[in-house]
Amino acid sequence: MVDALEEARRILVDDGVLVDARPDSRVSARVRARSATGRVIGTIGSQRPTKSDDTHSDHAVADVLRRGLFTSRRRGRLWHAIPFEDAGELQDYLDDHLRFSHRVRWRVPRAARAGRLFVERAVRFEVLERR
Amino acid sequence: MSATANVGRLLPGGLGYLRPPAEIELAAYGVDLRGRRVADIGAGEGRLALGAARDAKTVLAVDPDRTALGRGRTEATRRGLRNVTFRYGTAQDLRLPDRSFEVVIFSWTL
Repeated sequence: MVDALEEARRILVDDGVLVDARPDSRVSARVRARSATGRVIGTIGSQRPTKSDDTHSDHAVADVLRRGLFTSRRRGRLWHAIPFEDAGELQDYLDDHLRFSHRVRWRVPRAARAGRLFVERAVRFEVLERR
Repeated sequence: MSATANVGRLLPGGLGYLRPPAEIELAAYGVDLRGRRVADIGAGEGRLALGAARDAKTVLAVDPDRTALGRGRTEATRRGLRNVTFRYGTAQDLRLPDRSFEVVIFSWTL
């Protein structure tokens, strides 16, 4: 991962910027009922290998910052809402997912999970300036 | 540019749309692409690259998946975009000239 960051730096002009954006596995996704702003009725964590991969990516970014190859100009997080017709469709999605855990940690009984659901997923980004 | 976090923005999505819309994701980054040479590394089918092409001078989309690159080229043609190029490559070995871009994007890449 450090080699990819170094390669990005090589093709950037002086003061050029690199945007690193990734799903944020440090934060559980929220399952909301009925709408993207509805009540949170469950959460979805990340698979252990995903967390490990993301930690390696974090270390790679920290490494190039420490070495002075880039400086951090801005960082943030945004939330991305994905709609599902019902809990069955969400489970089908999770069954094949490479990052999310395959099960929702529900906060409500089954009867309260009916209808449309929205998974609100965190994406974090950092804007790095070439030095 | 502010160093503060931009936390809490909620973006739309959809089952056929499992990533944020390009224009919204790019706006969240707060990077001015106007007149810039942009490289989208790990571009896949070019979701972000095609979005960036609206403002950027040129966009190069790089990915190791030739099928995805082909889809991206088709979509660029469909949209009439002439400033986007799709090219095979990996993030570790870009085979591009030194200092040739103002903006590089790693979205879901690292």
